[in-house]
Amino acid sequence: MEIRTFEIEPFTKEPYRLLDEEGKPLFDFEPEDFGLSKEFLLRLYKDILLTREIDRMGWILVRQGKAYFYISIGGQETSHVASLYALEKDDLVMPFYRTVPSLHVRGAKVEEIFAQIMGRASDPLKGRQMPGHFGKKDLNIFVLGSPVGLGHPVAMGIAMGIKYKKENKVIISYGGEGSTSEGHFHSAMNFASVFGLPLIIFIVNNQYAISVPRVKQTASETIAIKAKAYGAEGYYIDGNDALITYLVTKKCVNEARLNKRPFLIEAETYRFDPHSSADDDKKYRSREELEMWKRKDGLLRLKKYLEYLGIWNEEKDEFLKREIEEKLNKIVEEVEKIPFPEPRDMFYEVYVKTPWYLEEEYLELKKEMEG
Amino acid sequence: MAKMTIGEALRNALDIKLYEDERVLVFGEDVGKKGGVFTITEGLQDKYGEERVFDTPLDEDGILGMAAGLALYGLRPVAEIQFIDFIWPGFDVLISDIAKERFRSGGQFSVPLVIRSPYGGGVKGGLYHSQSPEAIFAHIPGLKVIIPSNPYDAKGLLISAIEDEDPVIFLEPKKIYFAFKEEVPEEKYTVPIGKAKILKEGKDLTIISYGYIIHECKKAVEELEKEGISCELIDLRTIIPFDGETILNSVAKTGRVMIVVEAPRINSFASELSAFISERAIFYLDAPIVRVTGWDTPFPYILEHLYMPSQKRILRAAKKLLEGGF
Ligand SMILES: Cc1ncc(C[n+]2csc(CCOP(=O)(O)OP(=O)(O)O)c2C)c(N)n1
Repeated sequence: MEIRTFEIEPFTKEPYRLLDEEGKPLFDFEPEDFGLSKEFLLRLYKDILLTREIDRMGWILVRQGKAYFYISIGGQETSHVASLYALEKDDLVMPFYRTVPSLHVRGAKVEEIFAQIMGRASDPLKGRQMPGHFGKKDLNIFVLGSPVGLGHPVAMGIAMGIKYKKENKVIISYGGEGSTSEGHFHSAMNFASVFGLPLIIFIVNNQYAISVPRVKQTASETIAIKAKAYGAEGYYIDGNDALITYLVTKKCVNEARLNKRPFLIEAETYRFDPHSSADDDKKYRSREELEMWKRKDGLLRLKKYLEYLGIWNEEKDEFLKREIEEKLNKIVEEVEKIPFPEPRDMFYEVYVKTPWYLEEEYLELKKEMEG
Repeated sequence: MAKMTIGEALRNALDIKLYEDERVLVFGEDVGKKGGVFTITEGLQDKYGEERVFDTPLDEDGILGMAAGLALYGLRPVAEIQFIDFIWPGFDVLISDIAKERFRSGGQFSVPLVIRSPYGGGVKGGLYHSQSPEAIFAHIPGLKVIIPSNPYDAKGLLISAIEDEDPVIFLEPKKIYFAFKEEVPEEKYTVPIGKAKILKEGKDLTIISYGYIIHECKKAVEELEKEGISCELIDLRTIIPFDGETILNSVAKTGRVMIVVEAPRINSFASELSAFISERAIFYLDAPIVRVTGWDTPFPYILEHLYMPSQKRILRAAKKLLEGGF
């Protein structure tokens, strides 16, 4: 899809948006004006809805004791899905722990996503990492570790590889606003600007790093403005507005691809649930604040916009939701039948060839298990 | 006397030091309103204010740098690293500054600080929330390393650590933060740094361990007792400086040694203890020293119960050792 010219200024103090909280266009435009077809917007909506339902199921699995832990995406799916949509098939993704439920957009099977959450043998990571980690080589999705911010410099290195190989690709590296406090973020921005690399750092600013609010994370006016210090461009957008998120990310992706330079995007949004299934958010944020943000929900906003365009209604929505729910229930049922990884599996892939002492240690474990 | 968990005993120690010494400051990620992800600092910000108990940005380099500077400048920082697995971004400050300050300045400056952090496995935390890197810290001259295993020691050792003139890495076994309660005096007391504790006297076999895994050792020791084997169980408590005397006395008595740690085997602190005993007490030994450890793989998620040394693994190793099978 060819997107039309979209002129916006970097480093604004207010986030860019095209839709108001009621899903109404802020000025007179048709999606086609930006090169967006109605079918495209419908597809986008369906994927955001699927992401939300995957997230809901994640929490259910913890409650049922079928997953030990869950890290949520509820409330911020729009920013993840719409930005992932801005990539081409060959582009690369450095996810972070909240990206997982949205990765079906890049071709991850929903079955695999649940296998990861439930630590089953069919998880591409073989049940070795906690829920919230996912990656798959053939889908151009790299595997992250848990340390916050670590993905950014690595993605920068990959961007250098892209440039060196004279490829026409970009990489997008996701993180929360907390990740911009780590030195990793600054190293990545600095190198990427100095070397001119096709890197998009996409910051999902959901207002909190666990309990620490945005104002205690950084004193800078916006996260996006930080790009300026490195000679890069930064855009501050409403991450609950699927249209602007898609369009701005697309613009940055296109320019990064063409001119080999990095971009920083700050998508403002909110997480509805606690940081993780091990967190209690009542200690650090009010219910009023939460309710206020729930009214700004990106899923709801896009739905209202589609209704406004006359291409969606409540009935279709209910039907789709039920369909997704049934599908997810079935998938989870199937995944549950898949066994956990074998004990033997623990000793593989520490190195390409398993050293003798690991073989010995495995035999030791085997004897322990036998008697 | 009150009954406290390790978590409560640690909170109590921080409370006492914050109360009696204005130089003490407590900070880290989420330690304020939330009270830390393990609630160890819960309520302390309400009691002592944001100037003394505060949240930092998500930056371990910043946290350790702040601790180093504050300590250099006469304060008593107690910094929390949310999980010890995340200390690495601050490692340059730790290795290059904190650990070397006293020596490099000819004794003019020092950095009396405490870095508290949950460590170890057993809570389904996977690769990055379960590691036991104590040997890495123990390898850096200038740092002290402490690992308590019960509420009484946790409180007394943390108070000692805050009062100590050297930088201390204080590792808290997260699996047993709230697992059990024990009698802990409410008033202030200290447990000396550098002294091991003999949990049980015995004559056939010395078992040395620390942290959570000492509790698996205890269970194994009870089993062995039933079979008429008498074990001496030593809780090392302080990794650096470790209590060589207590270890050697015990080895001289039993002639057999098993060292149990959660960390991977290669270059673990068990390896250091084993070398130490070999150098100083080889003629007392009736059998090779045995290390029971985690495997030399990254810490797994789903299979963690097979990774960590269990009572069963300890028992098997002990029997083999007593039969001279190694
Ligand atoms: C280096 C490091 N320090 C601490 C943590 C523990 N931790 C996990 S998530 C998190 C908050 C991250 O906040 P943010 O980057 O804003 O992303 P969000 O979780 O809000 O999406 C923290 C402190 C970690 N994973 N890595």
